Amino acid sequence: MRNRLPALTLVFLWALAPVRAQMVDESLPRDPGPLDFIRGDSYEQWILQSLAGDALVGLGPDGRVVPRLAASWKVQRDGAITFTLRADARFADGGPVTAEDVQWTFTEIRRDPQASPTKRAILENVEVSVHDGQVRIQSPKPAGRLLLELSRVPVAQKGHVDRGSGPFLFQKTAAAWTFTRREHFLKPAVDGIRFRLLPDATGVLQALQKGWLTVGAPPARRLPEAPPTHRVVIQPMHAQLVVWSRAGAAPLRLLERWRGDAFPPHLLGQNARPSRGLWPETLGFEARTIENAAELAHLPATLKLQYVAGEESVEKLLLALRERARKDGIDLQLVPVEQALLVDRLQKGAFDLACSVVVFEPHPWAVFEYLEPQGPMNFTGWSHARFAELAAAARVPGDPAWRALHSLWAQNPAALPLLDFRSVIWVDKRLHVEPGPLGLYLGTPGAAGWRWSR
Amino acid sequence: MVPVRRSLLQGAAVWAFALVAAWSLPGALWRPAPAPAFPSHALLPAACALGALAFAAPLLAWLGGPRLAARRSLALLEAPPDLLWAGALLAFWPASWGPPGPGGWLLAFLAAALPGEVRWLSAALPGELPFPAAWGSGVVRRARRLALGRLVSRWLAARLPVWLTASLVLERLLGVPGLGMDWMDRVAGRDRAGLTAWILALALLWLASRPLDVEADA
Repeated sequence: MRNRLPALTLVFLWALAPVRAQMVDESLPRDPGPLDFIRGDSYEQWILQSLAGDALVGLGPDGRVVPRLAASWKVQRDGAITFTLRADARFADGGPVTAEDVQWTFTEIRRDPQASPTKRAILENVEVSVHDGQVRIQSPKPAGRLLLELSRVPVAQKGHVDRGSGPFLFQKTAAAWTFTRREHFLKPAVDGIRFRLLPDATGVLQALQKGWLTVGAPPARRLPEAPPTHRVVIQPMHAQLVVWSRAGAAPLRLLERWRGDAFPPHLLGQNARPSRGLWPETLGFEARTIENAAELAHLPATLKLQYVAGEESVEKLLLALRERARKDGIDLQLVPVEQALLVDRLQKGAFDLACSVVVFEPHPWAVFEYLEPQGPMNFTGWSHARFAELAAAARVPGDPAWRALHSLWAQNPAALPLLDFRSVIWVDKRLHVEPGPLGLYLGTPGAAGWRWSR
Repeated sequence: MVPVRRSLLQGAAVWAFALVAAWSLPGALWRPAPAPAFPSHALLPAACALGALAFAAPLLAWLGGPRLAARRSLALLEAPPDLLWAGALLAFWPASWGPPGPGGWLLAFLAAALPGEVRWLSAALPGELPFPAAWGSGVVRRARRLALGRLVSRWLAARLPVWLTASLVLERLLGVPGLGMDWMDRVAGRDRAGLTAWILALALLWLASRPLDVEADA
């Protein structure tokens, strides 16, 4: 009895003690800027917005459209989509999510010239109206494409560009971006997620090895053993290292040959593998080769390839490519350029060959960015008389028009992927996450589906 | 007065050029994003760091005198780059303490900056042999104090912009967002207005230090 009393007291006190929130610690490589559902458009902003906001629809782990803010939707005969909103969706201040909020968000994105270019492109020529509490969206795009794209447009509360209805409540502190769990229809299981700004890859590695990060990406240049507290998670990504050519298809034909045997496996590691086709296989495209019979004999002996300076792993791979080119008697000159300067040169067409990492939107229409006259990746002025007709015919993934479009591109490509990237991350063994091509955050349920194992 | 006015004009021209360069910085972003807010939370840690440095460096120079400038041990401490100090701090920081935070950053900042600044001040002190050393230690200390009194304000004005922005490496490695990282973020994000404001603030700092230069020239 004498021993039981202190033990019972301890148990009683333990039960009374406040439960400490078990946060997931993560890092951000760049400052995402203020949370802004209208203007925010970087990868880091997408993470913030996916945690603090909800789009009408989400993308499930298999890439299919799933309900999010909209409980259901119906495609009308005229191509318009009518969304019925969930009744239990609430903004961070407790106010209900209404059709007017959806209309305001979409209208604001179209009105504000500084709004996210990605969202503006999604909502181009879209008409939004509200009928009986339902949202009606009319767009010239096929309904299948629009639905996929709408998953990238979270809804903000009317008049509050930084207030969403997501599964986590956002709070910015001096050195951290903190998200805490709130009442939400996705029923998030982890108490919260805390992001620290860690731009340096060595700093991230140290933090992972010391157990200060629950989830993190180790440096790509060398993959040390994961600490015993973490496991390695490898996710496919819709990301490629792409080379654009303003010197015609001939240099791309050479690059297509070199990419197959230029990169030693130890340099590629788990993060990348040589691309096989012209468009991302992760988006469902078959691996096709260039069908252009450009004359290789008349190529200049020197080719200049501009690339983004500072990416050590990419630089090493490009050096391997240069060595491979030398074997064919071509002097591939690598010109490092600061990222914003390279984008400027790409947009002005001031390059012969230029390469950059591209992260595609998670649907096949993402390749239209290469093809459309004003497409954000059409840096060479690529065009074809049949494009408009075929683009209109590509209404769902797998339509025959896709194959015809792919052929058009294969006959005269303006860009060629060299590498397909994969995301290699270390995750605390106690945390259960659902990896996927969209990463850990951008899908549905995303981080709301994580849970700590006991 | 004429040389002073000319140097003022030259300095103003350099700052004006920097302002124009910041405003017209070439480059574009693929996905433009709103500029991050100014890290006002970093002002207090920066003030603490600079205050500690502004106090410790003259004090050590006063204690060590001009001979400190030739000390090999000081040169050895000055040699390692910021990266090494931050890496060493991270390596030796106990995992159970959590990330180093502003306290660790302050330690690394002082370890990286103090030896160089002490040597800078010591090298600027006048020689002490044979005088005032022959007049006794009290006179030596007084001579050092007077010399440092004339030096410190100019030293602060000259080094402040460097300290404000050169802590970038430490901030990136230790994950402590501060003024150096803000500066670089605005360059990478092509926040031309924010960058111009930075240059303007540094130019005003330089302008505020001009009367001290006049005194020195006189």
